[in-house]
Amino acid sequence: MWSRYGVAFLFLLPAIIFLGVWVIYPAIYTFFRSFFGQSGFDNFVGIDNYKALFTSDLLVTAIKNNAIWVAVVPAFVTAVGLIFAVLTERVSWSVAFKTAVFMPMAISAFAAGVIWRIMDQQDPNLGAINASIAVVKDAINPPGVLSDAKPSSDNLQGTPSGGITLQNPVQPGDVAKLGLTGIPPTEVPSSAVQAVMPEPLQGGINGVVWRDFKPGGGNPNEVEQDELGLPDVDLALFDSNGDQVATTTSADDGTFSFDGLEQGNYRVGIAASTFSTPFEGVAWLGEKLITPSLLIAYIWIWAGFSMVVIAAGLAAISRETLEAARTDGANEWQVFRRVTVPQLLPVLSVVFVTMLINVLKVFDIVVSLAPGSVQDDANVIALAMWRTSFGGANNFGLGSAIAVFLFILVIPILLLNVRNFRREA
Amino acid sequence: MRPAEPKGCPLADVRFDHATKIYPGTDAPAVDALDLHIEDGEFVVLVGPSGSGKTTALRMLAGLEEVDDGAIYIGDRDVTYLAPKKRDVAMVFQNYALYPYLTVEANIGFPLRIAGIKKEERARRVREVAELLGLEPYLQRKPGQLSGGQRQRVAMGRAIVREPSVFLMDEPLSNLDAQLRVQMRADIAALQSRLGVTTVYVTHDQAEAMTLGNRVVVMSDGHVQQCGPPRELYEAPVNTFVAGFIGSPAMNLLTLPVEGSAVRLGGERVPVPAGATSNGRSTLVVGFRPEALDLATEGIPAEVEVVEEVGADAYVFCVAEVAGETTKLVARTDWRSAPERGARVKLKPQPDEAHVFDLETGERIGET
Repeated sequence: MWSRYGVAFLFLLPAIIFLGVWVIYPAIYTFFRSFFGQSGFDNFVGIDNYKALFTSDLLVTAIKNNAIWVAVVPAFVTAVGLIFAVLTERVSWSVAFKTAVFMPMAISAFAAGVIWRIMDQQDPNLGAINASIAVVKDAINPPGVLSDAKPSSDNLQGTPSGGITLQNPVQPGDVAKLGLTGIPPTEVPSSAVQAVMPEPLQGGINGVVWRDFKPGGGNPNEVEQDELGLPDVDLALFDSNGDQVATTTSADDGTFSFDGLEQGNYRVGIAASTFSTPFEGVAWLGEKLITPSLLIAYIWIWAGFSMVVIAAGLAAISRETLEAARTDGANEWQVFRRVTVPQLLPVLSVVFVTMLINVLKVFDIVVSLAPGSVQDDANVIALAMWRTSFGGANNFGLGSAIAVFLFILVIPILLLNVRNFRREA
Repeated sequence: MRPAEPKGCPLADVRFDHATKIYPGTDAPAVDALDLHIEDGEFVVLVGPSGSGKTTALRMLAGLEEVDDGAIYIGDRDVTYLAPKKRDVAMVFQNYALYPYLTVEANIGFPLRIAGIKKEERARRVREVAELLGLEPYLQRKPGQLSGGQRQRVAMGRAIVREPSVFLMDEPLSNLDAQLRVQMRADIAALQSRLGVTTVYVTHDQAEAMTLGNRVVVMSDGHVQQCGPPRELYEAPVNTFVAGFIGSPAMNLLTLPVEGSAVRLGGERVPVPAGATSNGRSTLVVGFRPEALDLATEGIPAEVEVVEEVGADAYVFCVAEVAGETTKLVARTDWRSAPERGARVKLKPQPDEAHVFDLETGERIGET
């Protein structure tokens, strides 16, 4: 009798030792430690650590952020995986596509965070994402030639953002002079040449827009030697009602011309588009967008896993039920919604619950993607636990309380999973 | 609310017009220029060995396979390029294809639900169908909790409930045990004659084909070999393929030299139709059904290999020497007079029951 128990115990011993040392003892230790203060077991604080959990701004942010993660990631990962799996089911290059989508799974989350941190750089010259946005934005709305300028005479009024307009009306046959100063020499387009005062035009308005400044100053509102014309400036002509009637751009010597005009009073102005600044990039790593950036990166990593699992589930569905639904009068959407999805439900719930647990414990990608300056804004529970315990604060009491809290959050999902496994068996 | 109107009876004849299907990556068409006209209300069975194109033809009619050439009509509608849901056909699949996550009630009601029919109306029609098929006790069960025969009936119910213009059945009985198969066969035949809906039924089982169809279409290699009432197929097969395929056990086919206007078999002179030898044929294929070979004191000497007793009848499988070649022959006899295995017997053909075919083309010769 004893020998039977003895043999059984012998076989269990290695497992008991490992579980005891690495799981059970630390868990119990953490639980008790959470009721003591920073200095150690000599400082019993009761449930103060747990109160701090819900009162300190840092931890409340972490809990809020984690709530966003839970609300967004499992649903998106499941949906994206489902879409990929269904769409690639019938294409010949599905293996190549699936391999590409699955690839991020082969990278550690930390490395993925580094990749996204580089891609998310704000400067369009550095960050791939902002560079792509810049290409699209500049194609739709090209940047102007200048970033800033001031009018050189009182007759010219306005600001770069609202447009600069000549105050005195001009009539066909007049010459409009639009002198600008305050332009850094580096911003003058390289194609610019000596400004030219144009001849008056019968039945039209000629004009010049130039940099009314030369080394030594020069006289305001006069086109002089060594003053350069400003090319590619957008000019607008307004009638007496203030309606825009024509637009043009200036030549390399700064001259421009509106012809074929009826008699009357007009105004000439430099359009605001001349001064439109190039795209400066979205602050993906700034405090406002850091959590969305993290979510996108995390979904990118896990979409492959979700797709592969769901594709396997999809392959197991009987083709005949889909065909039956088609002959039963269902269109493709109804087939998907009423036949494919219900049969995929067990698989979808496995993916969803797996992602739920992953997301509650999320840690590494936040550390590697979020710059130190915004980690307070990007905080999640697991990161807060680590930073509180080891990241300089060395408050093991509060850190343990966070750990216990996280454990309690995971328990219901674990129970759900256990129940699902039991039902399968 | 719109009152439930009795379904009109638009003529739902089915016409295949040179319908052709070539699967990608293959040269030979799975269905080759199929021409077939199925009358409204008719029960037609497509039968043939596997790979003969019968299921493909059915799936083309259902809209589950694209038609590569030719056209298909249901009534006066050209449905060649219509989606399955627009064809007003209902299909019963070989593996039933029930929705495993739905109850029997929801399975039968699925087509109605898709069609957007109101809940009460749906419940009423599902109940009617369940009553017709004896499924009322099982309405709340899932397909996984049903026996094969019950699942089969649910699949039938799902097809019936829509009142489609054409029923398509793809080997619906092949997954049932023999006894149930015979019973369901009778049920299907009764149901079809009661509902009067045009039905196309695919099977590889020629016994099923012979008992069910108003007309039977024998297919092989994507072609129709013969199309006609079961009796006609049995009594006047148009070629050796049909002769060998229809009937169980199969017809005895013998290659024999012609002597004058007859062939000689076991001392018996079997006359061949006039004109059989007109184009210089010196050899013919002559077929006898097992019931056209009698055990007698005179005839083809043969050795009994196996005796299969089927109730009142016994089929005697023999080996014999015919026209210099060793041939297997089957004869039917009364079970009481069945010989022992290994016995030496004489088989006497009934000359007026002979089927005569061309050796080269396999085509039937004459009006025997």
